Amino acid sequence: MLICDEYLTPASLTEAFAAMAQHRGRYRVVAGCTDTLPWAREGRAGDVNIPALIDITKIPELNELRIDERRVRLGAATPIQRFLDDAALGHALPATPRCAVWFADDQIRAQATIGGNIVNASPAADITPCLAAHDATLELASLQGGKIVKRTMPLGEFLTGPGKTQLADGELLTAVECDALPGYGGSFEKVGHRRSLVISVVCLAVLVKLDAEGRKFDDVRLAIAGIRPIPRRLREIEDFLRSKTLTGALLEEAADLPLDLVQSRTRQEYRRDVVRGFLMRGLISAAKRAGAHPDGLTTAMEAAYG
Amino acid sequence: MARKRGRGMAACWYGIARTAAVDRAGAWAEIDDGGSAKIITGVTEIGEGILTVLAQIAAHEMGVKPEHVVIGDNDTGRSPEAAHAGASRQTYMIGNVVALASREARKRLVEVMADVWDVEVETIRTGNGEIWAENTNHRISMGEAVTFAKGRGVVPVGSATFGTDTTGLDPVDGSGNPWQAYVFGCQVAEVEVDTVTGEVQVLGVWAAHDVGRAVNPQGVEGQIEGGIVQALGQALMEDYELKDGHTSTSGFAKYILPTSLDVPRVNSIIIEDPDPIGPLGVKGIGEPAMVPTIPAVMNAIYDAVGVRIFDLPATPEKVLMAIRAKEREAAE
Amino acid sequence: MVDLRLEATVNGRKISRTAKPHQRLLDFIRDDLNLTGNKEGCGAGECGTCSVFVDGVLMKSCLLPVAKAQGAQIDTIESLAKTGELSVLQKAFHKAGASQCGYCIPGMVMAATAALRINPFADREEIKERLGGNICRCTGYQKIFDAVELARDVQNGRLPATALLETDTEDGEVIGKNVRRIDAPSKVSGKLKYAGDMTMPGMLHVQVLRSPHAHARIVSIDVSAAEAMDGIEGVVTSADVPGQDGFGVFVHDQPVMARGKVRYVGEAVAAVAAEDAMTAKRALAAIKVVYAPLAPVFDAEEAMRPGAPVVHDYAPDNITKHIPIRVGDVEKGFAESDLVLEETYSTQAIEHAYLEPEAGLSYVDPDGVVVVVSPSQNITHHRHMLARIIAKPISKVRFIMSPVGGGFGGKEDMIYQGMLALLAMKTQRPVRLVFTREESIISTAKRHPSRTTLRMGLMRDGRIRALDMRMVCDGGAYGLSTEGVMRKAAILAAGPYVIPNVKVDTYGIYTNNTPSGAFRSFGALQTAFATESHLDIAAERLGLDPFQIRRINAMRDGATTHTKAKLGTVSLTRALDAAEKASGWEAGSPTMRGGTRGDLAHDDVRPAVSLGARFAADGKGGKQEAAE
Repeated sequence: MLICDEYLTPASLTEAFAAMAQHRGRYRVVAGCTDTLPWAREGRAGDVNIPALIDITKIPELNELRIDERRVRLGAATPIQRFLDDAALGHALPATPRCAVWFADDQIRAQATIGGNIVNASPAADITPCLAAHDATLELASLQGGKIVKRTMPLGEFLTGPGKTQLADGELLTAVECDALPGYGGSFEKVGHRRSLVISVVCLAVLVKLDAEGRKFDDVRLAIAGIRPIPRRLREIEDFLRSKTLTGALLEEAADLPLDLVQSRTRQEYRRDVVRGFLMRGLISAAKRAGAHPDGLTTAMEAAYG
Repeated sequence: MARKRGRGMAACWYGIARTAAVDRAGAWAEIDDGGSAKIITGVTEIGEGILTVLAQIAAHEMGVKPEHVVIGDNDTGRSPEAAHAGASRQTYMIGNVVALASREARKRLVEVMADVWDVEVETIRTGNGEIWAENTNHRISMGEAVTFAKGRGVVPVGSATFGTDTTGLDPVDGSGNPWQAYVFGCQVAEVEVDTVTGEVQVLGVWAAHDVGRAVNPQGVEGQIEGGIVQALGQALMEDYELKDGHTSTSGFAKYILPTSLDVPRVNSIIIEDPDPIGPLGVKGIGEPAMVPTIPAVMNAIYDAVGVRIFDLPATPEKVLMAIRAKEREAAE
Repeated sequence: MVDLRLEATVNGRKISRTAKPHQRLLDFIRDDLNLTGNKEGCGAGECGTCSVFVDGVLMKSCLLPVAKAQGAQIDTIESLAKTGELSVLQKAFHKAGASQCGYCIPGMVMAATAALRINPFADREEIKERLGGNICRCTGYQKIFDAVELARDVQNGRLPATALLETDTEDGEVIGKNVRRIDAPSKVSGKLKYAGDMTMPGMLHVQVLRSPHAHARIVSIDVSAAEAMDGIEGVVTSADVPGQDGFGVFVHDQPVMARGKVRYVGEAVAAVAAEDAMTAKRALAAIKVVYAPLAPVFDAEEAMRPGAPVVHDYAPDNITKHIPIRVGDVEKGFAESDLVLEETYSTQAIEHAYLEPEAGLSYVDPDGVVVVVSPSQNITHHRHMLARIIAKPISKVRFIMSPVGGGFGGKEDMIYQGMLALLAMKTQRPVRLVFTREESIISTAKRHPSRTTLRMGLMRDGRIRALDMRMVCDGGAYGLSTEGVMRKAAILAAGPYVIPNVKVDTYGIYTNNTPSGAFRSFGALQTAFATESHLDIAAERLGLDPFQIRRINAMRDGATTHTKAKLGTVSLTRALDAAEKASGWEAGSPTMRGGTRGDLAHDDVRPAVSLGARFAADGKGGKQEAAE
């Protein structure tokens, strides 16, 4: 169980930094707590004593949501469920609702935060590949000389390995900014061992923008996770597809590009196989949602991989 | 086609109550003031619905309404032995003994009323909270009848015991008579195998099971549905893993169970082949419900994609790798 | 420690209380407010028994530090039927038979309430998705989905409120009728008290020290430091057992706590009773146990080989039980067969995963009777065993069966009741032990993992001529129900088929793995997997339909079984006919037919893809245009 001497709920960033300074070396920042509490149990970390828990979810700035034509800014304490409940958000980030519906369950999504999912840096995290596909950058804040200083960093740079990030001591993840991509077709493919409360063995986020006729790829964004220490954008495939005309043969060619993606120690052959299938399935369903012309996206293709 | 469907079936048999050992159960019954009934026996719900089944049986035998049956707690210091809650034995052993005890309590009451009304015992009927004599105008509530009985110094109580005529097995050739009641069943499963991921979804199961006599059909369905889903967990996902005696699956994040999104639609068909020995004709369903499910699902996977899984569970990885091995074999 | 001052509204009532900073909302509502309707099933957000509303949003209270409830409006299961009248959903659960053991049901009712609040017109697929965080181990979920659909339709006026009531039995006949479960109202309302919900005045809390070794000699146990700690009322080890120390369903080979050596990881070594669970836990760390590791054995086949480490001295070959069945002459039968098929099948260890982890109370009553209250599936036998263990006459031992939150065979073993009785006797105070989910999983019995070699000889026309099965099961460290499981497995191994030559051998083997024990279907599941898979392989080879090959071999009325028992009526062919007809089965050999089948169902199966159902709903009972 998780034991603490003090549970602090700062109401502002300033208060949060003050608490962190006061409890330096003996605190842990928590948000949704949906990973922290199960972590402190037998079979994982066991009983854990952390003198101070600092809960940042009540800080208004960390709950902000701003959507404009180009970018979406999400406070780090935004619960995952918001991707499903907020239609405008789902419209601006088309892969996220498809991803969120696979994330844990309705109840945990109401509590778990995007910031927590990012900072935990689990290789099986679902939201990170999805945000990576939306070109997420992170806003990191720290207190320097009594002043709150912020820096930004691309998500891909921030994550450095399983459970490892570039978050500095005394630093907080405050916000995530993503490309708003309305009009893109989004999909999220995931496989585990069941269909709810499921941990990803492989997951893939796909975003597709087609030309007005639904024939040509204007833009493609792919990010894969579950198969390597950190999520990876598949820029080779994105570049290959961009500006090309959608056909089954093209997709097959893209899926067959020789990329050695699987770095997991287990289930390698399986994962490789699924990655190829997911590329086909994810591109097909995202293209369909992007309004693909039936000449390019035939029902035969859908049946073969859908 | 990425998603392939298939069907499979399997049959089963099962013995009801203790195996190759004499089984027994006891019960006390009383038709209480106001025409309610008390049943005391060493039984408690483990979820299968036995309390409701016993209330129905007692109500049926004594002629009271099920909602007026009170069942005492299972307490070795306060109730007669009904032995354990397992072996698909509760409806068979305890249902039958409660029927017998209820009959004896009823008999006491009926004898009083036959005397009061000066009619033959055989002409007296009970039901729905009333007692009456056939072809007469005598008809009163059970509560009134209990008052009559107590006025004559009679408390309408009954007790009974029910045992099985079974034997152990011969240690050399296994011959013996392990059960006196057997049930049989058959299930058909329809699955969809995703050949991109190897995931198996069991979409539907048709389950035909002999239960002897269904006291509460909804409860029987509940046992069948629950049994099938437990078996499905073993078939497809559950795995208690040990390495050098230490488990890596000590919580529900790693030891995964079927969720609401993993279960088939279950279509139950109840077959009634009454047991000739017990007073009610009932048998059992708890365990046999899950016996044919796994082979039916594995046979369905074979039908769908041509691969046979010999070691459980049939995880997506195992199924997909088997499909690929088969494709390679076919290509050679 | 800095206590919190918690101001919140709980079930409509304002509260102002102090709380410990590490408490979870679940602990606070159960322990401090005595609202025990919501349960703890896993403590890790993986089961949903603890689901409550926080400001109208459903959340898992085991994942919420209580501080998160500051200023919030909390609604527990108790909020739904505050006036005593069940909500429409609760009534629908009652009517549909949606509760079985009932332990998941408070959380499930909360999740269903949330689902219909979010979308009052949710269809079955969306309902399933919204219940996806709540595990039920009993019902298979069908009746739960039925209940939510029923409640939805009543709430929307599509069905009258009378649809929730008992179906009237006009003729007064109640057998064969769907009488509503009499225990359901107490379960859907959360009022039923399971052992872990019960408290007694002066009650102590028990924690158990468990073995970190799979096989080790216990050199010494020193409990003096633990006993000396403040708040510790009693510590017990095997040294405190006054009588014959051993329990088990068939062979009494398991001590109440490890005696002399430990045989599996998680085996109880000592138990502590303290004023609170945290103190008891701290005392466990103060118990000094010196182990001398022994060579372990983890594989049943290896354990059978000469020279393998011996788990129990009384069984030097590590065989817990071997059950043979012999009919005719199998070798002759194989020689006469047109087709002989051999395959090996294996099954894994399975956890019962009842939603209620083990829990129990014990006390010594004023007459000196040692009382144990627990969700035991076999209090009759437990009483016998405990009387011998604590050296008291049977009349001085009393077992009360508390409501069982799922058993499936897993609560037949007296795995913890002995420790409770010893602590009640030692402290002369009521004691209570509640297992964590992890403790339950590592220390209690599993379904026997099995390895089965099956050889079957058949004639060209499909008749089975001979069957030879050898099944080796890992029984783990203690006997528990292994003997019975091997027996039932053997009796039923060859299936309900007439076979003139049968040879079956089932072996339950001791290893240093978690013990295997009773589990719903008791060995028959493992053997049926082999036999019924094998029949389909044979049917394909012989060009027979799966139903046909079974009918050819089916036992009929008056048949003699493989144990030479004479049957009366045999309903097998009725079951085959019924399943074939109901499923609309299209006859054919079990070759890979897949999509070419003509009998794939539509109405009797669920849709295949079930995630994202909510995207198709418009929240008003219709479908969005963009639905896929």
